[in-house]
Amino acid sequence: MRWRYILWFVGTLSCFLGLTMIIPLICSFLTHDNASWPILKSAGITLIVGLLLFFGFRIPNNDHISPREGIAIVAMGWIAAGFFSALPFYFGHAFDTFTDAFFESVSGITTTGASVMTNIEAVPASLLLWRSFIQWLGGMGIIVLSLAILPLLGVGGMQMYKAEVPSPVPDKLKPRIRDTAMILWKVYAGITIAEVIFLMFGGMSFYDSINHALTTMPTGGFSTKNASVAHYDSVYIETVIIVFMMLAGINFSLHYQLLMGKPLAFWKDSECRFFIFFVFIITLVLTFNIYPIYDSIGKSLRYASFQVVSIITTTGYGSADYELWPSMTQIILILCMFIGASAGSTGGGMKCLRIMIYFKYCYKELISLIHPRAVSQIKLNGKPVSSEVVSSVLGFLGLFVGLFAINTVLLAALGVDLVTAFSAVASAIGNIGPGLGTVGPTDNYASLPSLGKWLLVWCMLLGRLEIYTIIILLIPEFWRK
Amino acid sequence: MKVVIIGAGEVGYHIASRIAFEQKEVVVIDTSEDALRHVSESIDVQVVHGSGSSPSVLKEAGIEDARIFLAVTDSDHVNIVACLFADYISPKTTKLVRLRDTDYIAYKKKLQTYSPHIHTVINPDVEAVRAIERFMSVPGAVDVGDFADGRIQLIGFRLEKGSPLPGLRLMDMPKLENGGNILIAAVIRQEELIIPSGKDVLKEGDLVYIVCETRYLTQTLSLFKIDTTPVRRVMLIGGGRVGFKMASALEKRSIKTKIIEKDPKVCLKLAENLNKVMVLQGDGTDQNLLLEENIQNMDMVITLTGDEETNILSSLLAKRMGAKSNITRISKFSYFPLVEAIGIDHIVSPRLSAVNTILQHIREGNVLSAISIKGEQAEVLEAIVSHDSNVSGKSLQKIPFPKGALVVGVVRKDDTFIPTGSTIIQADDRIIIFAVREVIAKIEKIMTVPLKFY
Repeated sequence: MRWRYILWFVGTLSCFLGLTMIIPLICSFLTHDNASWPILKSAGITLIVGLLLFFGFRIPNNDHISPREGIAIVAMGWIAAGFFSALPFYFGHAFDTFTDAFFESVSGITTTGASVMTNIEAVPASLLLWRSFIQWLGGMGIIVLSLAILPLLGVGGMQMYKAEVPSPVPDKLKPRIRDTAMILWKVYAGITIAEVIFLMFGGMSFYDSINHALTTMPTGGFSTKNASVAHYDSVYIETVIIVFMMLAGINFSLHYQLLMGKPLAFWKDSECRFFIFFVFIITLVLTFNIYPIYDSIGKSLRYASFQVVSIITTTGYGSADYELWPSMTQIILILCMFIGASAGSTGGGMKCLRIMIYFKYCYKELISLIHPRAVSQIKLNGKPVSSEVVSSVLGFLGLFVGLFAINTVLLAALGVDLVTAFSAVASAIGNIGPGLGTVGPTDNYASLPSLGKWLLVWCMLLGRLEIYTIIILLIPEFWRK
Repeated sequence: MKVVIIGAGEVGYHIASRIAFEQKEVVVIDTSEDALRHVSESIDVQVVHGSGSSPSVLKEAGIEDARIFLAVTDSDHVNIVACLFADYISPKTTKLVRLRDTDYIAYKKKLQTYSPHIHTVINPDVEAVRAIERFMSVPGAVDVGDFADGRIQLIGFRLEKGSPLPGLRLMDMPKLENGGNILIAAVIRQEELIIPSGKDVLKEGDLVYIVCETRYLTQTLSLFKIDTTPVRRVMLIGGGRVGFKMASALEKRSIKTKIIEKDPKVCLKLAENLNKVMVLQGDGTDQNLLLEENIQNMDMVITLTGDEETNILSSLLAKRMGAKSNITRISKFSYFPLVEAIGIDHIVSPRLSAVNTILQHIREGNVLSAISIKGEQAEVLEAIVSHDSNVSGKSLQKIPFPKGALVVGVVRKDDTFIPTGSTIIQADDRIIIFAVREVIAKIEKIMTVPLKFY
């Protein structure tokens, strides 16, 4: 492994991140919120470190990058991005400790949306914008973005793309990785702008619309209000956000196909059908389950649908306190955290595609017990799925559940109660945000011990980069020459 | 520009990696998922799983907006059928196809004029024979290429002990008596390619590429003390397709040729079809046979069996027993770096030759031909300067060629010359450009005609 390549890339990424800090800086000048100096200081530090690495480790253009280096670059890139993004919060005194600032920042870039801010509305507007903005950057992926805009990475691009884009079967929309990345980001940015406009129609202020659009599309879930979306108490705004959360939870290559003039793209994709159908069923079940509390079909449908979509797409906005709902509903919501959105979307969790492959595999095994000589193939969209993909899916699901269990035990060992530990880890590893107990929709993560916060930071990174890219850093073989 | 390639074998892989490197869009189709994985993991291309001869697969790969279609699978049948459907779906696409069977080659013209309208048929064996013939024309050279219908030659040779050149600065190079120019286009020193300037000094062991006009070739060669004794006696080992083609080519040039082939049946066939060539049945690694047939008097031994390990061993054995030089057929690209170290003079690879020929046709702009040199670090391009191009009417110094590119020859009507900085380029000139890989795309841009409006 050639360290200079990794450091050089991390440097490039830091330079880029430092430049994007201009956005909250402008916001700060416009709103006079006294956060300009901390942001300027953070931008300065990020840029200087970035430039030092960039010029210190210059590499020949277009050199080949091995798969191992690709993984290391993505993992290190994300950790560095989490670190530098935390600086504005830390210097801006939004938090007392660096741990809290780092937690908030990683929760941002991994699109988790778990917060340790106790009073969000008291934080300077520019810092909240930064918080939403890093979530937006992390949603489609910082590496994919750099592939799209930096003309540096042709050859090793695919390695990094695969390490960052969450999908068991990565598809390339265009022959060149750069064009693919460009398309994904254009679609992503386009839908975000559309959401800003729709939200403003609902009477949300320009600033809040931008913030909410920036956190809906990456399925992040940071809000500028203490009460999250419930603050607005508007059916229109909730409907708009539901629609855009669903869009964010659908594979982005389908959006591209739709825009390319294939109106049936969503319907023809079996994963997308499964996803929409699943959301529909769960919403119905929950509506009936919470009906006794609200005593109105309209209200229960409104709260149930928002909460179901918010959790399944791993966004994590709150419009109602689901901890007051029946325990069956709460358990269903927790299970939904594991399932997550579609592959190739910005959502987290295990992904519908994997769940589908898993169930098809189970069914095939059962069939082979009844008909021992049966020959069958697992198919998706009418095409056979190679046995390699199937076994990687099984491996992923096993690792996901295993890591969830281990981390729950570790968090409980730090003195956190059962429900909180269980739901906090599920929420962090699935990149959702709120959990149950002391980390429920109306509380936040501030009360956790600081070691517990670090543990959850690790879980969030595991979840965002789909386990393998992060867990591989713990394998000694990875570091051997 | 989009290129669709069917066949992810050695030829397909190599072309894909070369053109993807130049920022072009490449889609590779193959039936083997393993081959595709290898391709998609190491180069920035899109892969489509399926048979290249299937129209639906071709559509999936986006043949409609492809500029060039390459059919380079191992099967002639698949290649032809693929071209046929590619022609139905997208008649505008330029189609290049690799065909092995000589039966088909006879219908080359028909394939071009009628459907599937194949633009170019590439036969790797013929290309290999051509490459061998080029080597034979200058036995002392490592690499030989010709341009402008053979009027300009590119010769690569190693500076051995006793050569007058090491220690000289390029500007102090000896000149030809009758005013012809010689240009040093590139130097490869310790595997690194240098485009030299006048102040650079040549060293012993350098591989030097010179460009000269063909009419001054012998003069140039003697100036640099390069061996020019013509090849008179050749021993061929291996009588397969390439071997047979080579033997008949040598027969035509009246070079005394012996051919060794293991398989008695193949020998009979060879004897049937060849008149002056001596056909010998036996093993190319058999010392006694080689001795009997006076291997020590041979000017050149060419090993062309299908098994590259046998080729390498027979070549080395023959050289040790006194043959003057050898040419060895090697297919595995990964063996190429070994060649010089173990004492093989030249290698020939039908696949590499096919890759080079195909590349000539892929070049954009008014680029006519291209060959790649040692280790593929550089290419020589030949291009026509059109009337409305930005290049015409300017002196060479003023044309913004990127660093790493050098104009090494100009053909103006019937005149051929090696230019200097003050040479003014005119419309309809054919210019020959030597360029390292990284700048090829830029040169194509400079040579491309500016957008026309109708």
